[in-house]
Amino acid sequence: MATPVKVGVAGGEYMESVVVLEWTVKTGDAISAGQHLVTVETAKAATEIEAPCEGFLTAIFAEPGTEVSLTETLGLIGADTADTAYEGDEPATDHAPVADEASLQATTSEAVSAAESLSPPTPGGRTVASPAARRAAAMAGIDISRITPTSPTGRMKLRDLASATIMRAEIPLVPAGGLSANEAGPLKVYLSGTKTGIPVLMLHGFGADAMSWFPIERALARAHPIVRMDLPNHGKSPRRRMTRFADLAREIVDAFDALHLDEVHVLGHSLGGACALALADIRPRKVASLALLAPGGLGPVINGEFAAGLARASRPESLEQWLKLSVADTRLISPEFVGAAMSSRVDPALRAAQAQMANDLFPDGTQGFDLRPALQRVECPMRVIWGKADAVIPWQQALSAPGRAGLHLFEATGHVPQMERPEDVVAILEALFAASGGKQ
Amino acid sequence: MKNTPSVEEQKEILRRMVLTRRLEEMLGDLAKQAKTRGPLHRCDGQEAVGVAACAVLNDDDYVCTSHRGHHVYIGKGMDPRRIVAEIMGRETGYCRGRGGHMLLGDIATGMLGGNAIVGAGIPAATGMALSFQVLKQDRVAMAVFGDGAAQTGICHESMNMAGLWKLPVIFLLENNQYGLTVRQEVQSPVKDLHIRAEGYGMPGVMVDGNDAVAVYRAAAEAAERARRGYGPTLIEAKTYRMEGFSTSDVGGYQPEEEIAQWRERDPIRIAAAALDELIGADEVARIEAAANIEMGAAFEQALADPLPVFETHAPSSAYSEISR
Amino acid sequence: MTMMRYAEALNSALREEMQRDPTVFMFGEDIGRYGGVFKVSKGLMEEFGENRVRDTPISEQALTAMAVTAAMSGTRPVLEIMYADFMPLTLDALVNQASVFGYLWEGQVEIPFVLRTQGGGGVGTGAQHAKSLDSFVAHVPGIKVVAPVTPADAKGLLKAAIRDPQPVVFLEHKLLYNMRGEVPDGDDVLVTIGKAKVVKEGTDVSIFATSKMVLEAEQAARELAKDGISAEVIDLRTLRPLDIGAIMASIAKTHHAVVVNEGWTFCGFAAELSASIMDHCFDDLDAPVERVAMPDMAIPYSEPLETAMLPNAAKIAAAARKALA
Repeated sequence: MATPVKVGVAGGEYMESVVVLEWTVKTGDAISAGQHLVTVETAKAATEIEAPCEGFLTAIFAEPGTEVSLTETLGLIGADTADTAYEGDEPATDHAPVADEASLQATTSEAVSAAESLSPPTPGGRTVASPAARRAAAMAGIDISRITPTSPTGRMKLRDLASATIMRAEIPLVPAGGLSANEAGPLKVYLSGTKTGIPVLMLHGFGADAMSWFPIERALARAHPIVRMDLPNHGKSPRRRMTRFADLAREIVDAFDALHLDEVHVLGHSLGGACALALADIRPRKVASLALLAPGGLGPVINGEFAAGLARASRPESLEQWLKLSVADTRLISPEFVGAAMSSRVDPALRAAQAQMANDLFPDGTQGFDLRPALQRVECPMRVIWGKADAVIPWQQALSAPGRAGLHLFEATGHVPQMERPEDVVAILEALFAASGGKQ
Repeated sequence: MKNTPSVEEQKEILRRMVLTRRLEEMLGDLAKQAKTRGPLHRCDGQEAVGVAACAVLNDDDYVCTSHRGHHVYIGKGMDPRRIVAEIMGRETGYCRGRGGHMLLGDIATGMLGGNAIVGAGIPAATGMALSFQVLKQDRVAMAVFGDGAAQTGICHESMNMAGLWKLPVIFLLENNQYGLTVRQEVQSPVKDLHIRAEGYGMPGVMVDGNDAVAVYRAAAEAAERARRGYGPTLIEAKTYRMEGFSTSDVGGYQPEEEIAQWRERDPIRIAAAALDELIGADEVARIEAAANIEMGAAFEQALADPLPVFETHAPSSAYSEISR
Repeated sequence: MTMMRYAEALNSALREEMQRDPTVFMFGEDIGRYGGVFKVSKGLMEEFGENRVRDTPISEQALTAMAVTAAMSGTRPVLEIMYADFMPLTLDALVNQASVFGYLWEGQVEIPFVLRTQGGGGVGTGAQHAKSLDSFVAHVPGIKVVAPVTPADAKGLLKAAIRDPQPVVFLEHKLLYNMRGEVPDGDDVLVTIGKAKVVKEGTDVSIFATSKMVLEAEQAARELAKDGISAEVIDLRTLRPLDIGAIMASIAKTHHAVVVNEGWTFCGFAAELSASIMDHCFDDLDAPVERVAMPDMAIPYSEPLETAMLPNAAKIAAAARKALA
């Protein structure tokens, strides 16, 4: 039985179809799981579709130039070169990816594939979801096409995110394979936004992933190219041990260099803020401006229980408490939001890797690195944005910024200003970008 | 009690009539140069009606006029510079550029106001008179409206209530013979509209609307009746519209010989002639020259004034701010 | 607190405001000697005299225009238009006079008048005496529009309307006049125009209504509760300016909205509520807004025909269930 190659979640949240650009393999080629097979173009950017399993490419249905829906089968991967039998194009049928039980990948898929098997037909390839459900899913980085709508209208609603699939999923406490070898490979990078202009590089915080920029990414993407990265041990980036901050900074610089960008505006939140600051310090001529949202590295104090608790949380009930600590207005942390956030953390390997990372970077509940000297060295236009109700990293650490940096301190705002004050944050960033046009 | 205008009053009436004529002529010139906005409704030839009738009113008496009300604006004592500024859409205009030439209003001189819904000035003045009566105030309201407005239903409703309640209101029907392009005899079965007054239990009188003194006398008597609590009066002032309906009007429906006839009876010439006998032609010429200079200066100042800046109007908002 | 009927609450509001402020006066058809077709002005002509309480000819068009300029001239008129169905006759005064001059002559004049009228169906008054034309007036900038359902709100909003510097259209419902309720005494009764009221708290679906439709919404909420559905009922009380903050807060909680209005559906007030909700709450919606209003046709006379036309608790409950499906 062959496995279909589909666009799925790679198509993006508001897309109905994509255009096939090119296949990097040809029929008959041996394929390894995760190998880049085909590039498709979405409204935002070209996206690479990876092999869902290993085997042989036995069919190409979507030739370059054709427009296909997100659920359409682009091609087939068979167990051998003659294996072209597959179960049609009905998402309702069981075609869970053929997975190597020994690999980390397989253990992550258990809850998700159970949900996938329930997926309803989606007419025209578009998943119908209410605005509220769509927003909650996007904030948590959930692929809504994996959710089973319970409404007779076929429309996915908030309750479907919270209950039917996510909450009831059995979430293993420890990875089946344990914390084994470090994974190789580059950090996951997402491109969106406009084609021209100085790109905005976004580095998320500890325990989050690139999807967490949702509250401001869409607004900024209207006028700027956007580059988002998953930090190591986060999102779709590889899991590997980093014993100290300098290792993490090196990973970020390497990934940045690999992008071959002339110049970027760098935006970092929390731990990603520390990474952004490190990048600006190490590659000063490449950084047009620097924006730090409640960044790490500017003082010893951090709520170490937050990082460890967040990484450990294996159930919505426990996760909810840590998420609520990160905001001033806890109404933002609705059951739906928690369910959605949990669904992106069902992978026990991810949680274990993050727990290890928290222990390594924040030993004894202390920020084990000091970037205050680096902050003094930064010469590009710089803004530091902080919520005065931040319960994770005290806002007073912002006061170590040099006089030329702009400080923006929000009342009644917690550790995630971009979630609680998205419009204000976007306005600050646009003003910063406008004031720092970069090299002419 | 006012009855016949004093010499000083006649001089002021002439001055305001000349100001009005000069306003209309200068606006006409600007319109030809496409420097005005929207249609302009000139009242050339009707100056005696608005100016002389307003001369009998006090500052706290109110007057409502129509889309063709420049003579009432000037007649009630409004500042030419701020009138021109409003017509030219300036911040310094009476409505800060929000109104335009048809919708000026000025509480200080009691000109409330222009109105571009034909007939709407009639219940407007009636409602003001109702307020004066409820408050037992010694004040009068006057509606200046045309023969077109006299055919509206709201005119009947208003006059009926004014007569019924003996409201202190003057209905000054400025019969300029035309409702837009249609002659009065095509709009009404009777030639003289003041005869309708009988049906509302009020006096109806007719005057030569091009004779400022005659208009003044009739208006003074009506105002006196109103103040004494005897109720409304309908005055029909026969006059003529010399410059067509508006600046966007192609004309052709007013016979040339008819226009020529009425030009012979230009109300400014009639008012000047009456004054010549009292104060001499030189003094009259001096009044006219000064008025022309004053209006020229008003245009110069107003055109140098700033244009307004748009802002939304909170009291008009569809949403309350209370719970936000 | 005093227990009184809706009509009595209005009557006491008028009496108190006329006692308090000598510039308040009333006029309208049959309001004087007869005390009004719905007895709202009963006894007021006797108390305040014919100068301040006037029976008028049948002249809605001029009466409304006169209210506008009387209000500019130092009085606070309260005009009664006997049926909301006659509101089209008043529209020039509202649309071309009050709305316009409130803005053009801002700072020079205020236009503090109240236009009281009553609408609504259910008692066989036929096609020309049973309509709710809320949207006709709520459409007009500068005009406030209120539609209270309880005697307390009727009194509180009428007193507030008489004191308001802007024109207020005060919409009553012929089936509410005999409703009884507790009414606070003195100025405690005053209700702020532009502020909605949560009549019943709930978590699953928000029902927004005004006037008699609030009673239907409350009944619908009781029916839904039997099925374990927790409906929140919001009495908007003011149609314009709309308390959008209260609407946003409720929808942020329930994610489901049912909007109710007794008027026609197409271009009706419920349509505006629906669009405003989409403007302000789109990402909070977990289902399309459900609209409950009158079918787009003239109101028939015969009882089964008229009953079929009117929005009611059953239709509201069905809409709520549809939103939650």
